[in-house]
Amino acid sequence: MSKGKKAAQYIFLTIMSIISVFPLYWMACSATNKSVDVVRGKLVPGTYLIENFKNLIASQNLGAAMVNSFKYSVILTLISLVVCSLAGYGFEIYHDKGKDLVMSIILLAMMVPFAAILIPLFQMFSSAKLLNTTIGFMLPTISTPFLIMMFRQSARSFPHDIIEAARLDGLSEFQIFYRLFFPTMRSTYAAAMTITFMNAWNSYLWPKVIMTNGKSLTMPMLVANLVGGYVTDYGMLMLAVLFCSVPTIVVFFILQKSFAEGITGAVK
Amino acid sequence: MKLRKILSGVLAAAMVLGMTCVNVSAEEEETLTVWCWDPAFNMNAMYEAEKVYQQDHPNFKLDVVETPWEDVQTLLTTAASSGDLSTLPDILLMQDNAFQKNVISYPEAFTDLTDSGIDFSQFAEAKTAYSVVDGKNYGVPFDNGTVVGAYRTDVLEQAGLTVDDFTDITWTEYLELGKKVLDATGTPLLSMQAGESDLIMMMLQSAGASLFDEEGNPSMVGNDVLVDVMGTYQELVKSGVMIEVNNWDEYIQTMNAGTVAGTINGCWIMASIQTAEDQSGNWALTNMPSLDGVDGATNYSNNGGSSWAVTSNCQNVELAADFLGATFGGSVELYENILPSGALATYLPAGESDAYAEPSEFFGGDAVSAKLTEFAGKTPSNNTGVYYYEARDAVATAIANVIAGGDIESEIQTAEDTVKFAMGM
Amino acid sequence: MSQPRKKMSLSKKHSLSGWIFLAPATILIAAMSFLPMIRALILSFKTGVGVNMKWAGLYNYTRMFQDRIFKTALVNNFLYLIIQVPVMLVLALILASMLNNKDLRFKGLFRTAIFLPCATSLVSYAIIFRSLFAVDGFVNNALIHMGILKTAYNFLGHPTSARIIIIIALIWRWTGYNMVFYLAGLQNIDYSVYEAARIDGASPMQSFFRITIPLLKPTILLTTIMSTNGTLQLFDESVNLTSGGPANATITMSHYIYNMSFQNVPNFGYAAALSYVILILVAILAFFQMKVGDKRE
Repeated sequence: MSKGKKAAQYIFLTIMSIISVFPLYWMACSATNKSVDVVRGKLVPGTYLIENFKNLIASQNLGAAMVNSFKYSVILTLISLVVCSLAGYGFEIYHDKGKDLVMSIILLAMMVPFAAILIPLFQMFSSAKLLNTTIGFMLPTISTPFLIMMFRQSARSFPHDIIEAARLDGLSEFQIFYRLFFPTMRSTYAAAMTITFMNAWNSYLWPKVIMTNGKSLTMPMLVANLVGGYVTDYGMLMLAVLFCSVPTIVVFFILQKSFAEGITGAVK
Repeated sequence: MKLRKILSGVLAAAMVLGMTCVNVSAEEEETLTVWCWDPAFNMNAMYEAEKVYQQDHPNFKLDVVETPWEDVQTLLTTAASSGDLSTLPDILLMQDNAFQKNVISYPEAFTDLTDSGIDFSQFAEAKTAYSVVDGKNYGVPFDNGTVVGAYRTDVLEQAGLTVDDFTDITWTEYLELGKKVLDATGTPLLSMQAGESDLIMMMLQSAGASLFDEEGNPSMVGNDVLVDVMGTYQELVKSGVMIEVNNWDEYIQTMNAGTVAGTINGCWIMASIQTAEDQSGNWALTNMPSLDGVDGATNYSNNGGSSWAVTSNCQNVELAADFLGATFGGSVELYENILPSGALATYLPAGESDAYAEPSEFFGGDAVSAKLTEFAGKTPSNNTGVYYYEARDAVATAIANVIAGGDIESEIQTAEDTVKFAMGM
Repeated sequence: MSQPRKKMSLSKKHSLSGWIFLAPATILIAAMSFLPMIRALILSFKTGVGVNMKWAGLYNYTRMFQDRIFKTALVNNFLYLIIQVPVMLVLALILASMLNNKDLRFKGLFRTAIFLPCATSLVSYAIIFRSLFAVDGFVNNALIHMGILKTAYNFLGHPTSARIIIIIALIWRWTGYNMVFYLAGLQNIDYSVYEAARIDGASPMQSFFRITIPLLKPTILLTTIMSTNGTLQLFDESVNLTSGGPANATITMSHYIYNMSFQNVPNFGYAAALSYVILILVAILAFFQMKVGDKRE
């Protein structure tokens, strides 16, 4: 690549990055300012951070919300990845007409707006006595068509001759999955983990509807509480929002190397 | 054989009964769960009420769960439509505008409080009317949204005006004064959120008018007051006396940043105005303008407000009713305690308390609370009807189209059609 | 005594293990999505307020032809779909292939930065976008400064510009998200293929079209179906950026359905019928996308 082209590439990426990062910068700045300054559009860091933090922990149970959100998101992500990657692998590696059809039907499941199935789902959980339980909280989001399809699509690049060779070596079907597929698809798992963690972390409506006893405050609920009053303290709100955004960003930052520089060498 | 079966059946039933009795007495600790949404405001009021009630009932405890209003509505709808009310709290706070809709849609979810011993005659009638369905009381009134006209005295001064010039005026006079202020200072008098119908609704109620007739049918077409109100609104925007902003944050910003010289809204807006501490002393309160040439026009209206409802999931209705009756429906002390948070009583005896005569520094040393209580007493009552939110939205769309150049009469026709469509008419 | 079925053919055995692999996920989806969906379908043939529902046949489905707001919402959804999805996916693809370049420096930084928008909480991003495009906001000031505009323009107050802002917001928020899938997908392409192509004299453009796109086809299909579905169910932006306004000009179908179920007098029968219209529309689009994109070579 010529030098000019290279420079153009860096400039393009830098501009895209700045546009992308700007709201986060604004959020961080606002978290250090007084509410009235945030409303007036102040764009430089202020000195009100500690005050905002004090107000935040005085009005909301920040610690409990962080712990709850972490607990739910981590457990949900792990179970979800196992269940969905097994299915995606099953759909692709053993594909036949029947399984392709089932896959298409599964895709239908995500096409109905959640608002429409909320009440029937609630009815089911109420008759199963699962209201206000952790299982009830997690069950609907463990298996998602999206994750299944993601693993199905990436399993397509998993070479069939490896499977054949492994079978000749006497490995069972499940062993092939977790000894060969699992390590090879590290990049897919890392990407899936980021996305699933993010979705679990941000989930709002279902947790709110099913966990009504107030003991399961999560971060999105905390943020919603802060905008629910008659007066919004924007400085405090932005600090809470910052707390709510950082975990996903950290997870992404840790995992991005593994999904962008995957160990392709293993498949050969 | 048969007898033995019956006997054992009776015995078993008695045992079950006995056990439930034991359970009830074991639950003497008297805990009630409450849903409401603002820590500084209605949640604080509940905590204060808990303290007041605990003086006579040391075992009493409240479990207040912070739940934003939108979520209270969603959770209520979900539970009531599924027929499983077990997730509902004992008491929940409900927006007055949604009361009729919810009680009529889900009568089985609420407890009739008419004969619970709460003295509803101690509240302003316009206020209790929100929570009365078929002559039965379903709610204990809490805060109201008495409309205030709030003005920047320092800006008015530059135009040679005082807040008295804005007291007991009509919208025509308001427009003239507004132009004067605009000429002298370049500052509009008022800002409103585009695409919302708050001001329209406030104007309508100030003349006792509504979007529905007595039977609950839409009465927009041929409603002269509505035509007048929309015309006034259009005139306000055209003249530049009122600017429209796109959302709530921008609306708050216009006041905090001083780009407008005042606002007209429910009295709860005072809390947001007061976040701009540097404007302390530069604000003053008075009533809102009245509609010209309309029968029953007043300078008083209401926007927002809420009431406490007891759900049918409440296992101890007696306790809940007694608690609400002894606190929100009977304790002047409670209302004095929560006054600093801006919670203004609709409980009439509280208005005579000395606390209400305290001057407010921010609003130029005025006895704000007493003034608002006086306004509240003069506010005409409002017929919300079941389809209130649909009608509000339809009118908001209509006024947005009028501002964009539409014709008032035909937009009102469209709005009525939209509401009738939602009602299945 | 039962005969041990020794002679089960190998392919049958494999097919069976496949079913076992996909069983847990499939059963969960059947229970958690299809059961309630069937109930919603039944609901869509009923009408009434709250819990008092009566059979109404196809009434809800014929009713929507007279529904003005629904028509606007439908048009909006398709407008967002047609413009936003292609722009976003192409941009994501370009960014991903740029960031897949081994010689590029600060890759981790760029990647994280571009991913950030979808991790930024909706509340803050809505506030920022609204204030950026406010009448006295940054965009207006900049455009006036550059001499493009003479007086400030109320972007969120006019239907067309408000729709464009929703599209911009969507692209801003979801490009990095889709980039992640492409980055992950690109790892399954051996980097030496690119090096070989370069030695053969292929330009970066040529290798993008001849190597990257064909090999990423399964991932492109995935992202296309997901984005189509996401856009036709668009809710957050409509609620938080414009509240569906001005005068319902930017409202989306999901937003309308939510209002009908939880804000207005609940009309679940009609809401369910509208939901099934979305389902059918997305399903048709997904069907064609699968037909074109899901061929195994």
